[in-house]
Amino acid sequence: MADVRLDGVAKAFGSVQVINDLNLAVDDGELLVFVGPSGCGKSTMLRMISGLEDVTRGRIMIGGRDVTHVAPSRRRVAMVFQSYALFPHMSVADNIGFGLKLARTPPAEIRRRVAEVARTLQIDPLLDRKPRQLSGGQRQRVAIGRSIIRNPEVFLFDEPLSNLDAALRIRMRLEIARLHNRLGVTMIYVTHDQTEAMTLADRIAVVNGGSIEQLGSPMELYDRPANLFVARFIGAPSMNVIPGTVTVEGGVPAIACGETRIRLSAGPVPPGTSDATLGVRPEHLSAVNKGEGDFAGRVEIVEDLGAESLVYLQTGLMADSLTMRVTAGSGLSAGDAIGVRLDPARLHLFDSRGLAIR
Amino acid sequence: MERENRFWRIVLLALPLAVFAVLVVWPLFSSFYYSFTNWNGFDSRYEFVGFRNFAKIYTDKLFLNAAINTAIWMVAAILLPTLLGLGLALLIDSRIPGGTIFKSVFYLPICLSAVVVGQIWVWIYQQDWGLLNTVIWTVTGERPAIAWLAKPETALGSVIVAWSWQQTGLSMVIYLAGLVSIQEELLEVCEIEGASAWQRIRLVIIPLLTPATIVVIALSVINSLKGFDILFIMTGGGPFHSSDTLAMHMYNESFRKYLMGYGSAISVVLFLIALTIIRIYFRQLRKLDEIHG
Ligand SMILES: Nc1ncnc2c1ncn2[C@@H]1O[C@H](COP(=O)(O)OP(=O)(O)O)[C@@H](O)[C@H]1O
Ligand SMILES: [Mg+2]
Repeated sequence: MADVRLDGVAKAFGSVQVINDLNLAVDDGELLVFVGPSGCGKSTMLRMISGLEDVTRGRIMIGGRDVTHVAPSRRRVAMVFQSYALFPHMSVADNIGFGLKLARTPPAEIRRRVAEVARTLQIDPLLDRKPRQLSGGQRQRVAIGRSIIRNPEVFLFDEPLSNLDAALRIRMRLEIARLHNRLGVTMIYVTHDQTEAMTLADRIAVVNGGSIEQLGSPMELYDRPANLFVARFIGAPSMNVIPGTVTVEGGVPAIACGETRIRLSAGPVPPGTSDATLGVRPEHLSAVNKGEGDFAGRVEIVEDLGAESLVYLQTGLMADSLTMRVTAGSGLSAGDAIGVRLDPARLHLFDSRGLAIR
Repeated sequence: MERENRFWRIVLLALPLAVFAVLVVWPLFSSFYYSFTNWNGFDSRYEFVGFRNFAKIYTDKLFLNAAINTAIWMVAAILLPTLLGLGLALLIDSRIPGGTIFKSVFYLPICLSAVVVGQIWVWIYQQDWGLLNTVIWTVTGERPAIAWLAKPETALGSVIVAWSWQQTGLSMVIYLAGLVSIQEELLEVCEIEGASAWQRIRLVIIPLLTPATIVVIALSVINSLKGFDILFIMTGGGPFHSSDTLAMHMYNESFRKYLMGYGSAISVVLFLIALTIIRIYFRQLRKLDEIHG
């Protein structure tokens, strides 16, 4: 059982600064997800925690112990890689028991513990196979088996599901959540997939350009994104963002987007704000009769997803279309001219630097 | 279009095939043919003697001697360069300082012909002013009187060392390429799971280098089977046949004693031995292939 703390951690490869001043505390037993676009430094952060990568600056603590200069094998961490990283020449059993064998555990005990781990991961019929005789999902289970057998205190996952097909990804996601519930150990999980992050995480750290943009529970990030980047990154389909100018008329703030004025009930706007961005999630738009609502729109495309539909709208607000999420059977079809209403309580406003105005 | 393609395919294949036929197939068949004759190498007259040449092999003490030497030569010439090459590759791969220089230094001998290598080592082994004896002299303070290549006990071993010096560079380069192709993450797993350097090499790196080992051993087998030139330069099979190999023996019988028929019979036997070794090797290879995929 261990918490993980990063104090002022930075990493440069040569002259390229990849991670700037990272401060983070992961609680004991927490499942924290690093999510962000490709190349933002997620893997580097994970690899510094595992010890595979040295830090350029700063301090890493695991379970209250300073491990900044401790070898990876002595940090009591386990790592699961996107590529599974199974040894192709070893059987499944030998792969799972690898760490125990290195520690010169008696063969009988290795066999017993491998069997136990294989049973919990439901791969016991596969123990004699070679990795290349397994499917992607089975391989990832073996990799997870290898990592749990030594009872590590911290699990590190680097995009473990990215090589799997969509259906399997959802199943394995569930299994990792179960594993976390059962073992109750600290897990740090890296993904570029915001859905994976939302569904798995106790807390999410949204990473961009080597820094954490925001850290919080999934719903915190969804409901109160700290900036435009988080707002756009979390949630699928993405939040609609509409550029405009903030005005205050008779004490009531509003945002002018082209010809359209939208009244803002969302708190006081700091004086001096002018250029701003309005953000609204697709489910907070609704279709009303033509001529009513906040502005007019024309239905461009309707995507039926079964339980709900995504409606893409052309409006006079900006060149891009807006996305609206409605329950199925809305009766909308391409070409319809409608009015669009925004849920005034669910609007987000961002200043010219992209920071949320609350 | 298709027809034109076929035309060029045949033309382009014909030339190398013709060269192969003239330089390999024809000599092969003619030595089969002459092995049943008593031809002396230049007379236009000769007689067929049936299997008499092959019968002679049975009783030829020098043949047995050469066969034993060939076995020693092959085992040593396969083991030494393979193990040394692997060791060097692992050292250089572990990023010791000056690795690139080592790489060039050890690879250099491959660029030399066996004749040059042989001559260099003849100098090294020279009794009075050779490098080896000079070094021994400096270290021990005693002047050694060993004529390495002229003593029956040391001649074959000395040539094997020279040969290994050349071949090690080749296997080192192949192993280095093999090391590069090992997936980085597998080594990181070793690091996280706490493998010692020796455990990593024994349990992970060497098994993963199997494809490279297959190539290295194949080249060593083939090169050592035809290893003749360096022996010819350094000892000529002597002294007292102590470094004779089958290839050397065949040369002596054919071109020194002018027993071309008997020499051909030896070459046929050598050919069959080589064929057997190569077939065994390929059979093992297929088994390995089934495991590694
Ligand atoms: N060993 C390295 N040498 C130089 N640059 C690196 C190295 N590893 C990663 N980088 C750079 O660091 C940045 C972050 O990489 P990474 O942590 O792998 O991103 P992510 O996992 O978020 O996709 C990238 O721009 C990448 O090019
Ligand atoms: Mg990555």
